[in-house]
Amino acid sequence: MKIIVDRQRCDGNGVCMGIAPEVFDVDDDLYLHVAENIPEDPELRARVRQSVTSCPILALKLVED
Amino acid sequence: MGGMRQRIVVAGGSLAGHSAVTELVGLVPEAEIVWVTGEQHRTYSKPALSKEFMQARNELSELMLPDIGGDLSNLRIVRRSCASLDTANRTVTLDDGEKIAFDQLLIATGAQARMPGMLRGVGGVFPLRTLDDAVAIRESLAGRPKVLVVGGGLIGCELAASMRTLGLEVTLVERLDTLLDRPFGGAFGSYFLDLHRANGVDLVMDAMVERVSLNDGRVAAVELADGAKIETQLVVVGAGSEPCTQWLEGSGLIVADGVVCDSYLATSMPGIFAAGDVARWTNPIYDLQMRVEHWTNASAQGRAAARNLAASATGRQELRKPFADVPYFWSDQYGQKIQMVGWHQGHDRVELDRSADAPGPLARFYRDGRMIAAAGVNVPRIVMRLRRQIEEEARAQEAA
Ligand SMILES: Cc1cc2nc3c(=O)[nH]c(=O)nc-3n(C[C@H](O)[C@H](O)[C@H](O)COP(=O)(O)OP(=O)(O)OC[C@H]3O[C@@H](n4cnc5c(N)ncnc54)[C@H](O)[C@@H]3O)c2cc1C
Ligand code: SF4
Repeated sequence: MKIIVDRQRCDGNGVCMGIAPEVFDVDDDLYLHVAENIPEDPELRARVRQSVTSCPILALKLVED
Repeated sequence: MGGMRQRIVVAGGSLAGHSAVTELVGLVPEAEIVWVTGEQHRTYSKPALSKEFMQARNELSELMLPDIGGDLSNLRIVRRSCASLDTANRTVTLDDGEKIAFDQLLIATGAQARMPGMLRGVGGVFPLRTLDDAVAIRESLAGRPKVLVVGGGLIGCELAASMRTLGLEVTLVERLDTLLDRPFGGAFGSYFLDLHRANGVDLVMDAMVERVSLNDGRVAAVELADGAKIETQLVVVGAGSEPCTQWLEGSGLIVADGVVCDSYLATSMPGIFAAGDVARWTNPIYDLQMRVEHWTNASAQGRAAARNLAASATGRQELRKPFADVPYFWSDQYGQKIQMVGWHQGHDRVELDRSADAPGPLARFYRDGRMIAAAGVNVPRIVMRLRRQIEEEARAQEAA
């Protein structure tokens, strides 16, 4: 599983971070950091998928492996 | 209904409906899912309507949520409105009279903009709730009108910010003497006043629009309760919203400013659930009934209600779970990232944090010594950490 962020669009509102803080982290410059490796944990992965569909700017894309 | 295929009806085609249907398609492939929505568009992102889209920073196609994935052979989409609900015969009647029978129903009809009587049906006056509203407002910006914003809530303030960002002349009329009073529990009082003034909005506080003057059927000016007259060619209204529950009148379902649900998002009738802006549920985090009108709530609640509905449809009890959540929303005005977590109503103390070198103010709300909410500007990390803290403290208290 890999996350692609559209940097042009992401405005750092932190919705994704609110749902899966283990994977998404918006810093105080409103820049979004995404974890390189997302653990296999199914509960976490379900939340990561929810983050992707919850981004109100639709700035996240998910590539499943 | 032995042996017959079950039918699940989802009413409402915005975010809560979309996330419920996405979940149901995978969870109960053996059932037929009928998704009824009054919208003629695919599901789109509403938060962008007052922000990026209003500022012409993105286009229509960029607002659309992803298609429902997976095998869709059991899904039927009906683009019409629900007119009434018959809980005895378990049918939904559509606006053209067609009746759809259901075994389970998920209500996600959201909310609609409130429009003060004297502003209804006037040319050049627009609410903002739907994509069509936003397109209509954007089209009327072409003549670079002088804009009047009615209401200093989230929608009004975001519209004022977007219009100023576009360089238009903006006047905002608000009944109270503060902006964003309800969403932020009054904590940031002068911060928002200063922010909008610094960006050139003409703020008219403690004021009410009393009537409109027309020219050729279009608004030319509004008159305030104190007699003052403000010329304008475009009025945008952010006067709050109300849940879309008219179609449930007479159904016997308990409705009280929203469809009343337990902590499982189950309504007062078996097999009928609700989610999103329309639902008033008991949030175990606070042990309080609340109706939350924010994006992430609609998304998470749609999923949660779908799972509880699937549990009732299939008997798979492992899917059943209460919906316990610390509400969250953000707003974007002039590039300032404003965030709020939790539920501040009933707070008895606010702690304000405003060090000179901080990127923005931060507030913590307490009730009986327990932190129940927090809000901040440009401090997303801190606010999100506080969200976790509120949740963990609530769970610890529940366990104790
Ligand atoms: C301009 C704007 C900006 C916003 N900005 C933010 C923000 O920055 N952050 C944030 O957290 N939240 C924001 N929100 C709130 C967020 O968009 C809502 O919480 C969310 O849309 C709720 O989704 P919902 O599916 O519950 O309801 P809604 O989006 O209200 O959708 C309800 C759906 O039901 C349909 N419907 C209604 N009645 C019927 C009927 N009788 N029959 C069939 N269909 C029906 C409607 O057509 C609609 O498709 C904003 C909202 C608006 C309008
Ligand atoms: S939710 Fe979307 S816009 Fe917000 S921080 Fe995450 S990726 Fe960026």
